[in-house]
Amino acid sequence: MSGETATGEGPTEALDRARSLLLRYRVPVGLVLVVLLLRPVISHPLLLGYEAVAATILIWMVFVAAFNLLFGYAGLLSFGHAMFLGFGMYAAAIGVSGRAGAPELPFPVAAAVGIAVAATVGYLLGRLTVEKGEIYFAFLTLAVAQAVEFTANRNPLNLTGGSNGVTQNVLPGFVESTRGQLVVVFTGLEIDWYWFVSAVFLVAMLALWQIVRSPFGRSLVAIRENGDLARAMGINTTRYKVQAFTISAAFSALAGSVLMIDRYGASQETLSVITSGDTVLMAVLGGVRYFFGPVAGVFVWQFTEEFLNEFEVLHLGFTSVDLSGVLTHWQFFLGALFVVLVVVAPLEGIWGYLRDWVRDLYVRVKGVAE
Amino acid sequence: MSTTELTREDLATVSPAWWAAGLLTVVLLAVTFAVEPGLFIDQAIGGLVYGMVLVLVTLGLSLILGLMGIVNFAHGAFFMLGAYISYSVVVTLGLPFWAALILAPLIVGVVGVVLEITVLRYLYDSDPIVSLLATFGLTMMIEEVIRAYWGTAPLEISRPSVLTRGTDLGVTTVPTYRLFLVGVAVITIAAVYLLISRTDFGLTIRAGVQDGEMTEFVGVNLPIRFTAMFFLGAALAGFAGVLYSAETGMRTTMGETFVILAFVVVVVGGIGSLFGSVVSGILIGVSAYLTPVVLSALAEVTNQPWLALQIRNLVPYLVMILILLYRPRGLFGEEGFLE
Repeated sequence: MSGETATGEGPTEALDRARSLLLRYRVPVGLVLVVLLLRPVISHPLLLGYEAVAATILIWMVFVAAFNLLFGYAGLLSFGHAMFLGFGMYAAAIGVSGRAGAPELPFPVAAAVGIAVAATVGYLLGRLTVEKGEIYFAFLTLAVAQAVEFTANRNPLNLTGGSNGVTQNVLPGFVESTRGQLVVVFTGLEIDWYWFVSAVFLVAMLALWQIVRSPFGRSLVAIRENGDLARAMGINTTRYKVQAFTISAAFSALAGSVLMIDRYGASQETLSVITSGDTVLMAVLGGVRYFFGPVAGVFVWQFTEEFLNEFEVLHLGFTSVDLSGVLTHWQFFLGALFVVLVVVAPLEGIWGYLRDWVRDLYVRVKGVAE
Repeated sequence: MSTTELTREDLATVSPAWWAAGLLTVVLLAVTFAVEPGLFIDQAIGGLVYGMVLVLVTLGLSLILGLMGIVNFAHGAFFMLGAYISYSVVVTLGLPFWAALILAPLIVGVVGVVLEITVLRYLYDSDPIVSLLATFGLTMMIEEVIRAYWGTAPLEISRPSVLTRGTDLGVTTVPTYRLFLVGVAVITIAAVYLLISRTDFGLTIRAGVQDGEMTEFVGVNLPIRFTAMFFLGAALAGFAGVLYSAETGMRTTMGETFVILAFVVVVVGGIGSLFGSVVSGILIGVSAYLTPVVLSALAEVTNQPWLALQIRNLVPYLVMILILLYRPRGLFGEEGFLE
C-alpha cells in the first residue's frame, strides 16, 4: 500500500492518511481483492484445480448478500428467497428463448422484466407480512415460495417447462459457448465470462454497500435493534422494511438472471426449499452482522461442497484413510457445524471469528513489538 | 394454549360477507355432490385423512411452540423419521404393522428428548429465530442420516390384511385403512386435548406457559415437564409419519413438505389455540382435496373446461393468504402471540 506523499507532509502523516482512506474504502478494496484472488486461489491444484465454479460463486455471493440486506440488516429472516432468484432466472430464460409465444427479448430487457416482477412480488408480499413478527415472516415467505415452485411445476401456459425447466435457446446473442467455456462477445471484443460476472458482482455489491451505509441502511439497523425505539424516533418502520424487502428481491433477481446464463437455463430445483435453506445457511455460516459475512459464507459453503465431493483419500504420511464413504454425507457434518455455531454465537459466523482472531493477533504482535 | 369455542354471541357478530362466503361454499359443495356423488365422498374422505395427519403433525408443533417458544423446524424431520423407522420395523425386523405403530413413535420421541437435552435446552431464553435456525441445522442432520441409512428411493410397507379391504359407503367404496386412520387420529387428538385440559400434568404445563417463574416457585419441576412435552410432540409427529406413510409410502421430501404445511395450519388456526389448529387442519385437508372436484364440477355445469384446474397442492397456501388478508390473527388466534 503506497501512501501518496503530498508536498509539505511528513511520511507518517501521509501514511495515516493512506490508512484512513483504506479504512474508509475497505469494502470496495476487499471486493476487488475477492474478484482478483478468487479464481487463482480455487484453481490452485492443491485446492480445487479447476476454475469453472468461480463465476458461480461470485453470483451466489451477490444473491446471499441481497438476502442478507434483509436478514442481517433489517432483521427479517426470509425462508423463501429462492423464489426471487427464480423470478430473475425464469424471466431471463423465457425472454431470451421466446418460448411458447412469449415475446423474444434481448437479455437486458428480459432481466429487467424479471427484476421488476421480483420487486413487485417483494413489495406486495412485504406489505402483507413484514409486521407479522419474525417467525410468521419466515414461514410465510417459505409458504409463498412453495406455492411459486408448485406453480412453476404445473407449467402454466407452457412457459416454465415444468420439472424440466427452461433449457432450450437460452444463451443470449452476446454470449458464446466454446468447449464448455462461456465467452462474452461485445462489439468484436472477447471477454472471459468470469470478468463479465466480476463486473456485475462489483456493481451490485457496491450498490448494496452504498445502501447499507446510507441513512436508509442505518435506519434498518435501528429497526432491527429496537423497532419501538426506531418508531419513536420517527422512522416509518413498516415502510422501511417493505423497501428493504423490495430492494433485496430486486438484487436477488439480478443474480438469478446472470445465474441463468451461467447454468445454461432455468431449473426448477433453483426454486425449491433447499435453495432457500442453503441461502440462510450460507449467510449464517459467514456471519450476518457483517457485509463480508455472506461473501465468506458462500465461499466456504460452495468450496466445501465442491472440494468434499472430489476429496476421497486422506494421506497422513504413514497411512491413508479412505474417506469417500463418509464425506458424501458432508451435509450431516455441515449441519452439525451449523448447530454448534448457532448455539454458541448465532450472529458472528466465520467472518466474525476471523475478525476477532485477526484483531487479537494484531494486538498481540503490537504488544510484543512495543 | 387456551381453547376458544364458538358461542351464540360470536355467531351473531359474524359479518354479512362471511355469511355470503359460507353460503356460496355450501351451494358449490351441493352442486358438486349432485354432479359427482361418488368422487365427492371419495375426495372428502381423502381430504379428511390428509387433514387428520396435518392435525397430528401440527399438534406437536404448536405444543412445543406454545410451551417453550421454540419454533421446531425439525418437526417435519421427526415425521419423516417415524415413517422410515416403521419401514425398518416392518420390513427389516419382520414385526407386524401394529408394533411399528407403537415402536416408531417411541423411538422418535427418544430422539426428540436427546435433541432437547443436548441442543434446544440452551436456547429457551434466546430469540425464537435462533431456535428456528438451530432446528433447521438439526433437520439437515436428520435428513442426511435418513438418506444415508435408508437411501433416497421411495419405500413402501404392506398394511395388515384387516385394513387393506374396502368399506362400502353406498355411493362409493373407500379403503378401510382411511377410516381406520381417521378413527385413530380422532382418539389421539382427543387424548392429547384431555391431557392438556383435564389432568394435573396439563394444568402445571399451562401454568408454566403463563408464568414459568411462579410455577417453579410453587414446587413444579418445569424442566422435566418440558422434556416430557418435547417427547410427546416428537412422538406425535412420528406417529403421524407411520400412519401417513403406510398409505402413501416414504419419500425423502415428505419432511419439508409437512413442516411447512403444519405451520400453514398453525397460521390459519391462530397461533396459541389448540382448538384452532384442529379445525384449520381439517379445513385445509378437506378443502385441498375438494377444491379440484368442485372446480371440475363447475366446469361441467358451466361448460367452461378451463375451470378444471388441478390446484390441490396450492390450496393450503391460497387459504393462508386469504386468512392473512381478512383475519390476520387466524381463525381462533389470540392477538399478540409471537408478534
